[in-house]
This record gives sequence, C-alpha cells and structure tokens, in this order.
Amino acid sequence: MLRIGLLSVAHLHADGYVGALRDLPGVEFVGFADEDQTRGEAFARQHQTHFYPTYQALLADNIDGVVICSENSRHLLLIELAAAARVGILCEKPLATTLRDAERAVQVCDQAGVVLKTAFPMRFNAPAMEIHNLIMHGGLGTVYAINGTNQGECPHHHRAWFVDPVLAGGGAIADHTVHLADMFRWMLNTEPVEVYAEANHILYANVAPDVETGGIVSLKLADGTIATIDCSWSKPPYYPTWGGLAMDVIGSGGLATMNAFQQNLTVYRHSAGRAAFSGWGSNADRAMLEDFTAALRGEESRGASGVDGLRAVAVVIAAYDSIRTGKPVRL
Amino acid sequence: MTLKIGLIGSGFMGGVHAARWTRLTELGLPVELTACYSLDETTALPLAQRYELTQLSSLEALIATSDVIDVCSPTHLHHDQVIAAARAGKNIVCEKPLARTVQDAAEMVSVCEETGVKLLVGHVVRFFPEYAAAKGIVERGEIGDPAVIRLTRCSFKPQADKPESWFHNYALSGGMMLDLMIHDFDYARWIGGDVTRVFARHTGGRDNSGDYALVTLRHANGALSHVEGGWAYPKPMFRTALEIAGSHGLIEHPASRPNPVNVFLHQKAAGDSPEIAVPGSPLLPEDDPYMVQIRHFYDVLTTEATPRVTARDGLEAVRIALAAIESAETGRPVTL
Repeated sequence: MLRIGLLSVAHLHADGYVGALRDLPGVEFVGFADEDQTRGEAFARQHQTHFYPTYQALLADNIDGVVICSENSRHLLLIELAAAARVGILCEKPLATTLRDAERAVQVCDQAGVVLKTAFPMRFNAPAMEIHNLIMHGGLGTVYAINGTNQGECPHHHRAWFVDPVLAGGGAIADHTVHLADMFRWMLNTEPVEVYAEANHILYANVAPDVETGGIVSLKLADGTIATIDCSWSKPPYYPTWGGLAMDVIGSGGLATMNAFQQNLTVYRHSAGRAAFSGWGSNADRAMLEDFTAALRGEESRGASGVDGLRAVAVVIAAYDSIRTGKPVRL
Repeated sequence: MTLKIGLIGSGFMGGVHAARWTRLTELGLPVELTACYSLDETTALPLAQRYELTQLSSLEALIATSDVIDVCSPTHLHHDQVIAAARAGKNIVCEKPLARTVQDAAEMVSVCEETGVKLLVGHVVRFFPEYAAAKGIVERGEIGDPAVIRLTRCSFKPQADKPESWFHNYALSGGMMLDLMIHDFDYARWIGGDVTRVFARHTGGRDNSGDYALVTLRHANGALSHVEGGWAYPKPMFRTALEIAGSHGLIEHPASRPNPVNVFLHQKAAGDSPEIAVPGSPLLPEDDPYMVQIRHFYDVLTTEATPRVTARDGLEAVRIALAAIESAETGRPVTL
C-alpha cells in the first residue's frame, strides 16, 4: 500500500482529492496537515479524516507521497519539506508564483531524487486526450492556431486567498493560464516562445480589489503556432457551473473543437432556483492521482512533471511582464 | 416621388442588396433599384436581367441617373466611387470595409461631411438579431459594464478555386482581417467603445490555406475584446459566436458544439457548396438582417433617422482592422 496524505488543504481541489485517493486501489489515504487550525478542524470534520498537528508529523509517518494543496506562494516551502523527507510530491498548479521558486522546486526534488509532479489534470481529461491523439497522429495536418478559453467564476468565495496577490501570485492570469499553456506544450510538443497579454479589472472588482479579473494571453509557439488563452473570471457566480476549459484547433486538415467539461446534464432544482450542470464525464483528477501513484512506484508516468509546471509558470510570469511593459515578451 | 437606387457592383453582395431593394419595392415603398454599373460582365448581365436593371457602362451615367448610390464593388474601388457620388450630391450606401486604407476612408468621410451627403456603411452584423439583441441588453445596463468581449467569425476561404478573384489579392481586399474580421472589430467597438490598443497574431495568410487570426483589442474604458477570424474552415462551415462578460452579468451565444469533441476535416470534393457564405439562422423574411439593414438605410435616406452605423464608425472599423494587420506584421501592439 502507498501511504499518501495532503500537505495543506488551502486549495479547494483538496476536497476532491480526498475522495479520489480513498477510492484508488493500492492507496491508503492517511490524512492531512495544515497550519491553519480552524481550516484544518473543519476539513477533518467534513471528511472524517486525520488532522496531523504539523507537516513534519505527517511526513514522518512512513509516507510515500503527498499532494500539496497550499496557497500558491507556499508551494515551495512544502516541496522543500517533502523533498527533505524523501517523499514524492504532486503539487497543485501553478507550481509557484515566481520563476525562481519554480526553478528551486525542480532543483530540490532533483537533488533529493524524489518524484515531483504538477497537478495538470487536463492531461487526463478524456476529450482533451482525444484532441491530443488527433493532433499527434496528424489528423489535423499542420496545426496553425489554437483559440483557448479557461474562464471561471471568481474563486474568492471558495477560498479568499485566490484573490490575494501575494498568496495566489496574481488574479485570473495566475489562476487560469497554466492549464492551457501546459496543454499547448503537451499537444503540440513544442514550447512557447513569445507572450503578449492584456488584463483589466472590471469583473468582480469589489470582491477581488487587488488583482486582475479579466485577461487575454496571446502566445507564439516555437513551431509557429499562434494561440490565445482567455483566463478571465468572466462567469458570474450563478452560472450553471464553475466555468470551463475549451479550445478550437485550426490546422491544414480542418478544425477540431474541444470542450473539456461539456459532458454534463443540465439540472433544474427548486432548491437552487437556477440551472446547474451536473458532470458525467470521466474523472480526470482520479486518473491523474493514479498516474502519480505509478510514478511513486517507479513505473511509467505521463503526468506533468515539475519541469512542465515550471514552463507553465514561465508563461504566467511573461504575461505579467508583458502587461507591465506593454510589449510582447520573449521566453 | 420614387427614390432611385443605382447599384455599383454585381458580385455576391450586389446580389444580396439587389434582392432587398426589390423587396422594399414589392412592399409598396416608393423606392426602386433602377440601374447597375459593374466591371464584371459575367455577373452584371444576369443580375440586370433578374432585377430588370438598366446596365450602364459608366460610373458617371449611374450617378447622373440615380438618387442614391449603393456601392457593392470590391473594396479598393470604394474610395473613388464614393467620392464621385458625394461630389455629385448623392447619398451613398457603401459595403464594408468602407475603404482599403485609413487615409481613403478618412477622405471619404470628410468629403461626405463637406458635401452634406449621407454615407451609410454596411456593417450588417449590427443588424443580425442576436447581435442587435445583445447590444440592447448591454445598452440597458443589464449586465453592467462590459469587461471581456469574445467574438468569433470563421469560414472557409471564399472563391478558393478562383485565384484571380479580388478577394485573394491582398492589395485590393486587405485580406481576411480587413474583409471578414472588420465585422467584429466594428461590433466590438459598438459594445466596448473606442479602441486604444490592438495586438494581433495571424497565421497562414495571403497565399496559403490557413488564413486565421487572433486579435486582442483594448478599449478606452478598459474593456478587452478577443476577436477570432479565419478563412481556414472546411467548406461549407461558417461559425459565429459572441460572448460579453460584464460587471453584472454575462451574455453567451456559442457556436454550436453538440459534442465535447468535434472534428471537421477539409474534404477533397466539397460538392456543390457555395463559393461564398454568410452566417444565418432561420428567420422570418422581415427579420433577415440584410433586409432589416436595407430597410434601415431606406429610413435614414428618406427621413432624419439616425443611422445605426455612422460613416465614422466605418472609418474606425477600418482603422482597427489595419492596426490589427500592422500588429500581426510587426509583432508589436499598435496604439490608436
């Protein structure tokens, strides 16, 4: 059995990971640690799980792997703790809020010889995988362009730190650029070479006073492909779901459209007073965690690495540089 | 007294306009499309026969015998034709893009202002019911201040098997970004206000097949627009989409995506699909956007009604489109 726990439950994905980890064969979910006592007690109650008094206590409990779900800017601290304890790591995205932190994260795990994976579940999303295969097998010919959206509601009411520029590393751009940036690299097997970005602060301006809430990131990739990422928090809080991720891929062979979260029922409940999407697609989070366990066992793993996480962070940092300077930024 | 309309051009748009003017006459309005002047003999004759038009061999003759000149010629010809009509004191309807260059468009606007003639620009998207309805919702403040506007307009390459077509001559048409994307540049400006900065990436382009662009606009009030345009789809696809996220709400009008993954491939033989397409939805005849537009033109021409699209709007749309082309070519944002 692989013993796996969570380091911090600051990120709302921690909820889903508990269920998925408990469900995985060959895995024992041991519990979690969190420096926020109130948050930890509530999480322990909600999930009926063990709340370790400290991160070190959890790491010392014969652990094989941890999933880091802290605030973005605190990832590195926990990565360093886990690496020192020789425990494999799956880290929430974005890997870090600065390039230096992301590089350091990769470096310490390399030096300690521990697994470092970045939580990019889109690599395990079935519609995304189908498009990936289509492109890889030349079904679209030469890809010219990708028009990507990863929009959402403002996550402030899930966790307040998402709109804290220090803890989150920014707003919508820090939150929603990395998934598509990673997918472009993964699907096209190439690297972004230039980033231009525009941002604004009109949506959710009151509840997210200190960060950008709207953003368009424009990329050029080494193979010549052009792409955009709309990372805006442009879905209202009463939207039928949290948001979504979609892309149109234009190639010499034609067009492919992909919506990662379209496999859902539209449900109208008297109690909710509005429509809601109820997903029925395959569980990408579970598949990503399963892949992480394969990595922990030293088996083949196709999940995003620490370096993949670093490359996506570089796009975010370049986007902020571009906004500050008003110019395209070379990577 | 019947308002006599003289048509310049007998191509795709000439036919579209001719059908709608004729319909106005059938509806009993005192307006008649009477004559046509075209450089393209092969399309001019059938059009003239179909709508019983006098085929004139000179622009001067058309202007002399018409009350209103409807310019449906290739883009690069608009400037001289509009100026000639304006100098003769004739009101003008002009297809989009207003002109091939900003300088041309600015001159057309100022000559029309000097001579006091009306210059109505065919930015028909403002007359498509879903686009007009979305504008109304924004105008009434129902979704607050627009923040992020997303517009899509993609189809196959028009007249791809006619390389001699003016569409494919960048010097004449300005290419996809000026000819097609200008619709959404204009619409973005209608919703988000004046544009201050443009950044564009363009792939494929003037000669090869993957003619496609992704453009970011920054508006003076801080709103952003993302405009997608392309002539890169397989025939006979034509998709449009709009999304307007505001401080207090959201409007979505998605391109239809019935499945999580859809693949549309270029076919070797596309059969009898048309050479040029326009997007459409099933509508009653009176709601046909081209009909609504021509009817609106008629109202503006015959009354003091305010045009939905001003000549300056036409000029600004050209300015944005050419800034996008410049940005795509230089790789730099262009400040307006």
